[in-house]
Amino acid sequence: MSQPILSARDLVKTFGTGHTQVRAVDGISLDLGPGELVTITGPSGSGKTTLVSILGALLRPDEGSVTIAGQDITAMGEAALSALRARTIGFVFQSFNLLDALNVRDNVLFPAHLAPGGTRDAAGRADALLDRLGLGARKQALPATLSGGEKQRTAIARALVNQPRLIIADEPTGNLDSHSGQEVMMVLHDIARDQGCSVLIVTHDQRIEEVADRILWLEDGTLRDRKAEPRALARDPVCNMLVDKELSANFADHEGRRYHFCSKRCHQRFEADPQAYAAQGALAAETERNPT
Amino acid sequence: MLNWAFREMLLAPQQLFASVAAVAGALLLVLFFEGVFAGESDQIVALIDKTDADVWVMQKGVGNMHMSTSFVADWKVDAVAEVEGVARTTPILYMNSAVEASGRSWFSYVVGIELDNPRVGPWEMVQGARFPAPGGAVVPEIFASDAGLKLGDTIRIAGTYFRVDGFSGDTFSMANSINFVGMDDLADVMGTLGVVSYILVDAEPGVSAQALAERIIAEVEAVNALPRDIFVARDYSIAVQMGLNIVWIMTLIGGALAVLLTGFVVYSHVTERERELAVMKALGVRDRAIYAAVSAQALTIGGLAFAMALALMAMAIPLAAEFAPKISLAITTEAVLRAGVTALVVSLISAVIPVRRILSVDPVSAFQQ
Repeated sequence: MSQPILSARDLVKTFGTGHTQVRAVDGISLDLGPGELVTITGPSGSGKTTLVSILGALLRPDEGSVTIAGQDITAMGEAALSALRARTIGFVFQSFNLLDALNVRDNVLFPAHLAPGGTRDAAGRADALLDRLGLGARKQALPATLSGGEKQRTAIARALVNQPRLIIADEPTGNLDSHSGQEVMMVLHDIARDQGCSVLIVTHDQRIEEVADRILWLEDGTLRDRKAEPRALARDPVCNMLVDKELSANFADHEGRRYHFCSKRCHQRFEADPQAYAAQGALAAETERNPT
Repeated sequence: MLNWAFREMLLAPQQLFASVAAVAGALLLVLFFEGVFAGESDQIVALIDKTDADVWVMQKGVGNMHMSTSFVADWKVDAVAEVEGVARTTPILYMNSAVEASGRSWFSYVVGIELDNPRVGPWEMVQGARFPAPGGAVVPEIFASDAGLKLGDTIRIAGTYFRVDGFSGDTFSMANSINFVGMDDLADVMGTLGVVSYILVDAEPGVSAQALAERIIAEVEAVNALPRDIFVARDYSIAVQMGLNIVWIMTLIGGALAVLLTGFVVYSHVTERERELAVMKALGVRDRAIYAAVSAQALTIGGLAFAMALALMAMAIPLAAEFAPKISLAITTEAVLRAGVTALVVSLISAVIPVRRILSVDPVSAFQQ
């Protein structure tokens, strides 16, 4: 890999104290090269938001270091971090997070006020981005009048207007219908391919995994590589969620059979009463085999 | 950020208007009470101001007309007349007294004038004679209207009855009114003989009032003499000072109300837009830029409210003259400056109120659903 745009080493982030302490990020290291599109997926509460907040220079880790575009951000002050975010990182949020009072074009140009060239240099780029994303006719529209797909494309244009080296997208297709989600997915893919941006996407959307260069699985604060090939799935007997057998760190053997769990919590609940959950799991498996 | 700050306010124009109107109402309190005192003060000096004598001569040691008593021996009228540069002298008698009619009474200036000398008298007439006949009085029309007086009815001044000969205009305010009677009649009421209160002096053309006043003091024994402008300013200053504490109290009350209202509006804006502020921070906007935007919103509300309060006050003056003639309203430069400074201070204090809230907005919350 060429010089990574994003490099994280041994990140640790802990919340709470004593027996309520949670290690949301537990020794994670990660490199992201130019033009690479990487997805991070994992169950709820696995630490995804904490991790992207650290990687996006919004949250300081307790331990470890993060380097973005060659700059170690760990020791930076708040002002320098704000400047770095404005110039080097583009954010795309699940809830779009457009500014209600500004029209599409002004929303896209908003981060340009924070960059050295200001809006004068960025105006042409903003118009070109909006045309490219199919929003050329909607430049003067207020966010309240846009569809979900239009809002997310506006948010993507906003993320790109300062020509950042890194895009961090949190569930970018989470609030979109399948057609709009497909569009947004392809836009993000094209950004990485055409502009050499590093794109880091937190998602549960398996369609994005199809275009990802790497898929990372985050569970209990730790990160592992996972291939995009079809996976062997098992159903968690406690919460009934589908779990990747290959990646699941939580499993237990009971009466000659292996059970996989989505989280430590489900694992613990199973251990408390394995007989009840094993019967439930067997029934679910039987139902799946013979749905009629 | 400023673009966002202004457009964010315009996103809900009714809310903006309501906020501005509420703050304008608080600022109007400041303007209104100062306007009332300015209007009253204008009326208190109306006699001196409208009677455009160049110099006023009074008893030595006296420097005012309002709340003052002055006695000057009547032979000094001739002595003043002989001073070089004096074209004409006009004596008046003057007392402060309650004027009673129809069971009501008003604090009044009672001015005794020479009935055969039209130099001093009402400057605006509504009905009847401008100069009263012996035993008669010219009273303010508003006073007469309140008491249901008609020409020929009687009023009582310090226990003496006078016939109403005329109704004057522009001679009444809540603080005082001006009544004109014959000088001899007033001397009888006051029990004085051979004295006048003030001597009004007209200067010969080309003679400065200040120089003439100094010459009169030098040449006539035991008198004080003041050019009209200085005499007006001194009385106006006394009148204003009488209301100054109340004006300050109303300024504080109005200012505190305006701070509460503006602060609430600005704080509400911050609270309602917390998510947007988190997004801005995530995108790289610094706290101080957000603070500047919020300050701009507070200053805009304060500025618009100030302009609205001024406009309302300007409308209130003719309306008060029409529908509440007892209230004398005026806008002075001092009142405008005081309200303007209040609006500025209000805006700056209000902008500080949401600072902690702004600082506590966590950019990570932009990731939350």
